[in-house]
This record gives sequence, structure tokens and C-alpha cells, in this order.
Amino acid sequence: MKRIVLWLLSTVSAVVLLFGYHTSTSGPAGTAQSPVGASLSTTSTTATSGSGGTGGDEPSSGTTVTGEVAQTRWGPVQVQITTDASGTITDVEVIQYPSGSREDEQINSSALPELIQETLDAQSAQIDMVSGATVTSEGYVRSLQSALDQATA
Amino acid sequence: MNGPSAHVTATTRPATARYVEHVMGMPISLALRGRHTDDAAARGAWAEALAALRDVDRVFSTYRADSFVSRLGRGELEIDDCPPEVGEVLALGEVARLQSHGAFDVRRGGLLDPSGVVKGWAVERAARPLRALAGTDVCLSAGGDLVCHVAGPDSADWRVGIEDPHDPTRVVAVVPVRNGAVATSGLAHRGGHVVDARSGGVPDAIASVTVVHDDLTWADIDATAAFALGRDAARWLRTRPRRTGLVVWADGRTELVR
Repeated sequence: MKRIVLWLLSTVSAVVLLFGYHTSTSGPAGTAQSPVGASLSTTSTTATSGSGGTGGDEPSSGTTVTGEVAQTRWGPVQVQITTDASGTITDVEVIQYPSGSREDEQINSSALPELIQETLDAQSAQIDMVSGATVTSEGYVRSLQSALDQATA
Repeated sequence: MNGPSAHVTATTRPATARYVEHVMGMPISLALRGRHTDDAAARGAWAEALAALRDVDRVFSTYRADSFVSRLGRGELEIDDCPPEVGEVLALGEVARLQSHGAFDVRRGGLLDPSGVVKGWAVERAARPLRALAGTDVCLSAGGDLVCHVAGPDSADWRVGIEDPHDPTRVVAVVPVRNGAVATSGLAHRGGHVVDARSGGVPDAIASVTVVHDDLTWADIDATAAFALGRDAARWLRTRPRRTGLVVWADGRTELVR
């Protein structure tokens, strides 16, 4: 089990650290032989079992392994993978990602959309920009966004 | 529908300078408020942002037969032959595939199409020179997916309207954003472009999914993945950390995700 997790972690690290590309056709051997994967297998020293039980019941439940923070040219990357009893990856969480390097700013991802009871147009709703799936160059001239872009200079 | 003369800036809203260009078949809209709105610094940062988007198009476009991604997809190149950004995008796609239980996949039927990752990722990168403008609030949209930035606590929120997928001349909701991103996926998006990678089918339960998050890379991926998940969209989105959003169902009902 330990070896399986080790290999899985190195696979994911290789994928996330962009030194290798994990295709659906690449076999375990090919990935494991990647030099980067091998060097990153030391990240398993921080491995923690997500089951919280005794070590003996490990194969019967999923295991969560957290990798060390790796420095990449884009910034720090840290991944956490979860495997099921058979060792198959069931989830990958990127705990730390380079674009998240704006801690000093007021991030407000929890901002909630406010539903507008009556459907209003851009003018009465006082909006700055439109998020939508129909915004293409072809349809742009007739779009709300176009009206907004022309409204102020 | 308002004519072009409609003035949306009420006296209570700060003065906003706007720029528009078309790149990758999409309108790129920029709104700036504050210190640098119409000077050389602003125009330089805007030019840098557009250049970054055009660079991404050259590498990733599936519409260009000679792009790195097109050649990679045809097996003419290996990943090591491509710029490192290709590996970065494909790695993000692999994480998204696992986290969406396979509904999101950059490979379908032997075709490599990472555009579900590229757009948000590219706009997030393109916004960097604009964010660097001191004392300036920025809102940058590429085809309806956008990033917002405010210079400080005194700045007003950016008010982002969420388009009504059944009537794109209207909005169904407004979300105030300071530093963050908003992405929307829907059927109208390039004519049924989003498919559930597990079945190959086009989802029909949902009209659109909007995701609000810290960065546009993951807001865009999650909007696409949630849309591909169909009836499970809102349920799946609730399992995602630090995301809020809005699902507009095909029957017109709206559901907030918090």
C-alpha cells in the first residue's frame, strides 16, 4: 500500500509540477521511470492517513496524502490526493497554487449573486460588466456588454 | 434594449474608462477606474494584456492547425516539444477531470481540446499588468468571463451582471466583486460547445452556470465542469471550496450556490 501511494503521489506530482504529462495511455512503468517523479517521491515523508484509525484498517478505506510544497517557476504548488482501498486516485486537491499569491488583497470569493426580482436591463441595474455564455464577437454589437462599453468613455 | 447612447453611469458610480478589442473570436472588454485610466501607463498595460492573450491563442488555439496544441493532439509533437505553459494547462485539466468525476476532460474521442482550461487561465495571466497599475481598479472580461481588482478599501465594488441565458439582453442577478473572478458557462457558449465527457452528450437540464471565486482559472473550469454535470451542477458546486454561484435551470428557475 505504501508503495502504491508513493507511486501515485509521484505521478500526481509529476502531473502537477508539469514535468510530465499523464495520458490515459501511459502505463505505470513509464510514469514511475520519470526522473522527476522519482525525485519527488520523498514528499511521502509527510504522508498522513486520512482514515484516522489504526494502521491495520488502511486498505479498507480511502487514504489522503498531502505532498510537500514544491517550488516551481510559477510559484509554490502543493497537492493532496485521495485514494480508495484499491489504490485508485479518487480526488486531487491543489492546496496551494501559484496564482493564489495575492494574500495581501481583499479576496471576496464569497460574494453572493443578488437575484433581481424583476428582470431589469443594464441601465437600471447599474452594472459595470456582464458575465454570460453568449458573449461572442459575432453577437457582441447587440449585447449588453457592448452597450456598457459604449456608455462611458 | 438600450441604444448606444444609454448612459449607465449614474452620478453615484465612479468614472470608468473602457476599452474593447477582439481576440480569439471574443470581445475583450476592460474597465478602469482611479489613477490610471487614460494615460500611457493604462494604455501600455492594456497592450500588454492583449499581447498575452494573442500569445496564448498562438500556442493553444484548436482552430489553428499550426498551434502547439493542435500538433500535440495529432501526435506530431511531444509535450516536451511544447512551451511549458502547455504542460501547466494540461496538468490543470487533469486535476479538473479527477475533481469533476470525469465530466470535465480535455481529451474526448481522441481529440485534445484544452479550451475549457485555457480561457480563464489566459485572462488571469493577461490581467497581471493591469493589476500592477497603482491606485487603479480593474475589471477585465473575455467573452463574459472576467476578473476584478480594486486598488484599496476605498474603492467601490465592481458590480457584475449575470446574463439571463434565455434573454441575453437582460440580467438575472448582480454580484458585487472586489478582488475575484466570475465565469459563466452555458449552452449558447459557441453553440453547444460544452459536453459531458463521460457520455459525450450535451447537458440539457441547465441553461447556465455562474461561478464566483478567487481566480478565474478555477472559476472558469468549475463553471464548465458544473455545466457538464447537468442535474448535479448545483450539488457538485456546493462541494467546492470558496466558490459561490448561480445555476439557471432550463425551465428558468434560478438557484443560488453559497
